[in-house]
Amino acid sequence: MTPAAALAVKNAFTPEQEKALVAWTKKYPYTNLGLIEALRSVQDWHRQMTPAAAARVAEIFNLPFSHVWGVATFFPTYTHWKTGEKRVGICRGLTCYLAGSDKMEKCLEKTLGVPKKKATADGKFSWEPMECLGACEQGPALQVNDRLVGKATEESILKLKDMK
Amino acid sequence: MTKILTKHFDSEPKFHELEAYRRLGGYSALKKALGQDRKALQDEVTKSNLRGLGGAGFPTGVKWGTVPPEDKVPGPRYVVVNADESEPGCYKDRILLTRAPHQLIEGLLIAAYVIGAKDTFIFIRGEYQNQYDILEKALAEAKAAGLLGDVTIHLMRGAGAYISGLDTALLETMEGKKAWPRQPPPFPTVAGLMAKPTVVNNVETLSMLPFIINEGAEAFAKIGSPKSGGTVLFSISGSVDKPGLYEFPMGTKLRDVLAACGGPKAGRKLKGVIPGGTSMPPLMEKDLDIELDFDSVRAAGTFLGAGGMIVLDDSMDAVEIAHNIERFLTHESCGQCTPCREGSNWSERILERMLVGHGEQADIDNLARVGDNITGKVICALGDTVGMVLKGYIGRYPEDFKKRVKSS
Repeated sequence: MTPAAALAVKNAFTPEQEKALVAWTKKYPYTNLGLIEALRSVQDWHRQMTPAAAARVAEIFNLPFSHVWGVATFFPTYTHWKTGEKRVGICRGLTCYLAGSDKMEKCLEKTLGVPKKKATADGKFSWEPMECLGACEQGPALQVNDRLVGKATEESILKLKDMK
Repeated sequence: MTKILTKHFDSEPKFHELEAYRRLGGYSALKKALGQDRKALQDEVTKSNLRGLGGAGFPTGVKWGTVPPEDKVPGPRYVVVNADESEPGCYKDRILLTRAPHQLIEGLLIAAYVIGAKDTFIFIRGEYQNQYDILEKALAEAKAAGLLGDVTIHLMRGAGAYISGLDTALLETMEGKKAWPRQPPPFPTVAGLMAKPTVVNNVETLSMLPFIINEGAEAFAKIGSPKSGGTVLFSISGSVDKPGLYEFPMGTKLRDVLAACGGPKAGRKLKGVIPGGTSMPPLMEKDLDIELDFDSVRAAGTFLGAGGMIVLDDSMDAVEIAHNIERFLTHESCGQCTPCREGSNWSERILERMLVGHGEQADIDNLARVGDNITGKVICALGDTVGMVLKGYIGRYPEDFKKRVKSS
């Protein structure tokens, strides 16, 4: 590891964040049971996964880097691209697709002014198609930061911009 | 109409709160169960014909019976609630968690008592953050009321992978690994979480337990059909006037379910009904008088699954539907087994080519061939589904596929 890379690992998290990560190692009956949640915290803080952050998590959990990076690149919640503060998801499961999710994807692109998986210049928003969000009766379903908003319409998408 | 899980949903808007839940008899089953002979309780659940409502339909009491006894395998044993609902079409668990978290907690505590588990887990998909908050609050209420006894209920969120909903992949996820399904045996009841005996049950399955303990196995079994006891939840969407959550006795006719939810929409003709989520090929017009339970739906060539019913009408195209499902499966294939990893991707691309107007007769044959090379040759049901969906849609809607073939 180059000195710069070592420094990036050392400084990946603030002292409070380090404390929160250590807390995940102790929350469940076995240390490793906290890993998925710990990486969720990392994604929340950094809005993406970086090798430096994963390397520091690996040190804290006493796991090989390859293990943590394998997990961090496996699950869709964790991203290699930087999401917006508001990570908007539009469902493309079958019911939502049949209800016009394609059109709502275009509407999101137009309204937020960015293509999928790219944050707006102010970092506030990003959007992406997601797999079934479990809200088929409200399809096409729209969610923000893991919380269901409801049916995606031109109006509900326009309202996203007023979210604090 | 007999209802068990959603009985109070219309009349009691605060059913999610401990006070209302207890007022309506909540936690009386737990009180009744504690102190009873554990084996007798397990036999009661077996007698009730409760089947696993997460999709597999395995008899719950029988599953519990495969946990090795403490004198043979000492040490901890666990109960894990599978709340990782992600199958397209399914949203019953979301509504159960929102409206009746205590019903689940009571069921979980009963299961923990029968199994002898001190640590239990609710693994909930990360996208259900609203429901996570509700569960957290309900757990705090139950704990403050002293209902948990010496049992700990841990909450844990997933990270967006559909395959984590499969029991063995769920356990791998919990252990902080990639969600790669395990090849049983051993089954989780023998070697599950951290290789300890573990019962993995779905939200809806566990939520049935309070009724079974209170009213007895016979009363539960009597509601359903001969081999599937009690009721079943259908989360209905697609071409219907009234999409939403419906509870029916097991063995209710498909015709009656469609009448209740108003499907297909006015002016449309029925094309088919996906019975349990998109992994299950559709039931057809000829199946309208099928009595919906695990065995009769299976006899009709598909599966009851997790009750995620999607009604299809004549405005929808089978190639588009198959493409949507295969695209989903390609995205969610964990990549462990080569036939599924590669085959799902190939089938998605072939279907895409057919959609954009470059379909050939050979494509239809190839889709069936690719499907045959996956189903039965992989570790888990996701891979089996890739082939089942292809054959299911080509077989049921040959005209839709033929229309996509260029005439040479």
